[in-house]
Amino acid sequence: MTVVGRTWNRLTLPGKIVFTVVPVLVVLAVAAVVAIALVGETVLEILGANLPIVRFVVAATAILLMTIPTAFLIIYMEMKGIALMNLRIGPDRVGPFGSLLSVVHGLKVLMKEDFTPTGADPTIFTLAPVVVYLSAVMALLVIPFGPGLFGVDMNIALLYFFAIGGLTVVGLLMGGWASFNKYSLLGGLRSAAQIISYEIPLTLSVVGVLLLAGTMSLNQLVQNQAGWFTDWYIWQQPLGALIFFIAATAEANRTPFDLTEADSEIVAGFATEYSGMRFGFFFFAEYVNVFIVSALMVTLFFGGWNAPFPFPATSLALDPASLGIGLLILIAVVPVVATLVFAAPFWLLRPTWPAWYGLVIGFVLFNLVAVAAVAGWAYISFDWVAGLVWFLAKTYFFVFVFVWMRGTLPRVRIDQLMNFAWKWLMELAFINIFITAGAILVVEALRSGS
Amino acid sequence: MTTESRHASADDPRVLLDEQVGVFEPVPPYPPRTEREAEFYTLRDGEMFINIGPHHPSTHGVLRVVMKIDGENVVDLDPVLGYLHRGVEKLCENADFHHTIAYMDPLEYIASLFCEWPAVMAYEKLLDVEVPRRAEYIRVLTGELNRISSHALAMGFHALDLGGLTPILYSFIERDEIVEMLASITGQRMLFNYFRIGGVNGDLNHDFMSRLGTWMSRATTQIEANTGLLNENEIFVRRNRGLGTIDSQTALRMCWTGPNLRATGIPFDIRRAHPYSVYPELDFDIPTRSEGDALARYLLRIDEIKQSLRIIDQCLHEMPDGPIMAKLPRLLRPRPGRAFAAVEGPRGEYAIYAVSDGTDQPFRFRIHDPSFLHLQSFNLLMEGRLIADWMAINASLDPIMGGVDK
Repeated sequence: MTVVGRTWNRLTLPGKIVFTVVPVLVVLAVAAVVAIALVGETVLEILGANLPIVRFVVAATAILLMTIPTAFLIIYMEMKGIALMNLRIGPDRVGPFGSLLSVVHGLKVLMKEDFTPTGADPTIFTLAPVVVYLSAVMALLVIPFGPGLFGVDMNIALLYFFAIGGLTVVGLLMGGWASFNKYSLLGGLRSAAQIISYEIPLTLSVVGVLLLAGTMSLNQLVQNQAGWFTDWYIWQQPLGALIFFIAATAEANRTPFDLTEADSEIVAGFATEYSGMRFGFFFFAEYVNVFIVSALMVTLFFGGWNAPFPFPATSLALDPASLGIGLLILIAVVPVVATLVFAAPFWLLRPTWPAWYGLVIGFVLFNLVAVAAVAGWAYISFDWVAGLVWFLAKTYFFVFVFVWMRGTLPRVRIDQLMNFAWKWLMELAFINIFITAGAILVVEALRSGS
Repeated sequence: MTTESRHASADDPRVLLDEQVGVFEPVPPYPPRTEREAEFYTLRDGEMFINIGPHHPSTHGVLRVVMKIDGENVVDLDPVLGYLHRGVEKLCENADFHHTIAYMDPLEYIASLFCEWPAVMAYEKLLDVEVPRRAEYIRVLTGELNRISSHALAMGFHALDLGGLTPILYSFIERDEIVEMLASITGQRMLFNYFRIGGVNGDLNHDFMSRLGTWMSRATTQIEANTGLLNENEIFVRRNRGLGTIDSQTALRMCWTGPNLRATGIPFDIRRAHPYSVYPELDFDIPTRSEGDALARYLLRIDEIKQSLRIIDQCLHEMPDGPIMAKLPRLLRPRPGRAFAAVEGPRGEYAIYAVSDGTDQPFRFRIHDPSFLHLQSFNLLMEGRLIADWMAINASLDPIMGGVDK
């Protein structure tokens, strides 16, 4: 047996896959580069002619990739946040303040055995996590993250959102049914009952906003709320916002409405039989759903990417090219000078330290200041940066509220859950619609009369 | 019995070999022995069995309950016991009187002093021993501490079974403090093995007293703060109010004791009804509630914690000096006869019935455990209830499976 053969036999299965796939990918990439170099003009022309399609593909890929760090961040927030509420320390081993623990969790579920129980329907069992995860990602496509930062600008974005959000229940039901487990079956049935019931107050609660805005496009809705924070719809629709938040909690299967995965009753419900990355998809989808409902809450009622106050009109028209040779000098001189300046206090105040300590600290400090300066410059110069910052800040506030509720509240019972949806939330949503419509009529009559 | 029987189940290893694997119906692998069993294990249209336990997050140990459900409604249920059975009574009949005390501990692994106590009391009756008063005070003091730790944990687990994550950790703060201070005199954190025939194993020491003082200074406010998270929580109160209601006469007929009985309005407390140890000298109330539901049982435990704090306070003030062990020979040979001793534990009446034939081992030894008697009322409490209610009812009864399965 040759050396190559022996080495090949020693590889584990992932190793064999990697060593087969990587060369193929390299060859393909080289071929693609060569092809673009040869027929680059044509490719660019084709891409330019189909700009909307290219934009959509790029946006969809970006959003698909964005869900992973988002889920990691929210999982970390939840682990740490609930730990602090429980008077525990929480994750503190992997990475600074344990912040990489959720990444390790992700790797762990990737490496675990992907187990299909006897009696399960393998096709549906495998497809269920995909459906759940994709419905979450597809709903994210219409959320405006900032001015110009959105997947698709639909004029029926809100309807699309609710339609796609309703797909989740199909995935959960599939998982619950195909698992061949009674806990899972109960979990699937509970999710069907719960999500479909809460879809109604959820949809009705935003009708007030739609009446006020006269549009279903989320971009348009956000632009309507521009200006001061008093222009946000929360002030005109407090009841609608409350109903939306409660119903959205149920939609995202979060405490106190986490009956579908009630761990003390039906032992994780639809996810009982799932392991490995299939469970990982369910797990990720839950946190992506939390992000989505928070994002929609912000978009509808809290001004989306608008700052609570109007943007300062100053635009720092700094064109780097206008500096000419000055730019070169700036790049060459400023880091050195700044590092020395930041290092100087340490040299003066800590004479016992070796000199390079001060240099390292100075360099780190300079980098921090530079990053802050660039971020500040980007915030002032590009309105999409400012919009993204405000949008994420508001969204993560609501994500924190979800975490907070998980740390505080027990779970409701299924009959209480149903009663609450049908006897309270739906009636309140109808009242909200009538009051809003009446108020609009009155205001219009007053305006036309005066 | 053949494996082809209608009642053959996958629990039977023979079936696993030659039939389809993966079908786990919780049907026993033998023909029905009673009418009740035959009725229970027959499914009507739309019903199915679901197996809760023996390892399920909210069965408080290894209780297994077979539920017959129709959707979310529980039609009927059948507790299956014995997963923790060790044959303690028989073990004790073959052990020295001193050794039996160690066998008592794991029966009540949350508050293990209360299973040692009736055993040593029964032997003391057999031996006609006068226990020193300091030892009695120490028993009451450690026992009430243990009662607080048990009740605190019951509150936390009640919330955990309803889906609340935080209260259990707050409860464990209290419990941790208490087991640490008990560990400083007994050497153990969980199964103390502290009471001896004629006294206790060790006197109070400085470590214990300083921990107790620190804890007592903040215990009341701390417990108030912990309960605030649940008592004013609308979801928690609504899920428990009117749940698992039982009236006092039924509770008596089902042999209930302890906080669960007092929550139905009957002020029966063995510390007052059949006084033992130094309880007649101590001043404390017996809290009762009239509702008899899960919320009443939960609230009654909080009231009992406050009374226990009162008792601890009095014990510390009135504890006399003196010996902690009566003078006894190394080898105990009590007179032939029988003795019964009962104490009021955190779950109800713990009692021991011991018969001596004049040798150094008990001739017969029987344990009365309250958890077992509370579990037999599941069917009464669960009438027309949902699956999720079973977890709340089970948590409010607060059973310990060690004592149930013996």
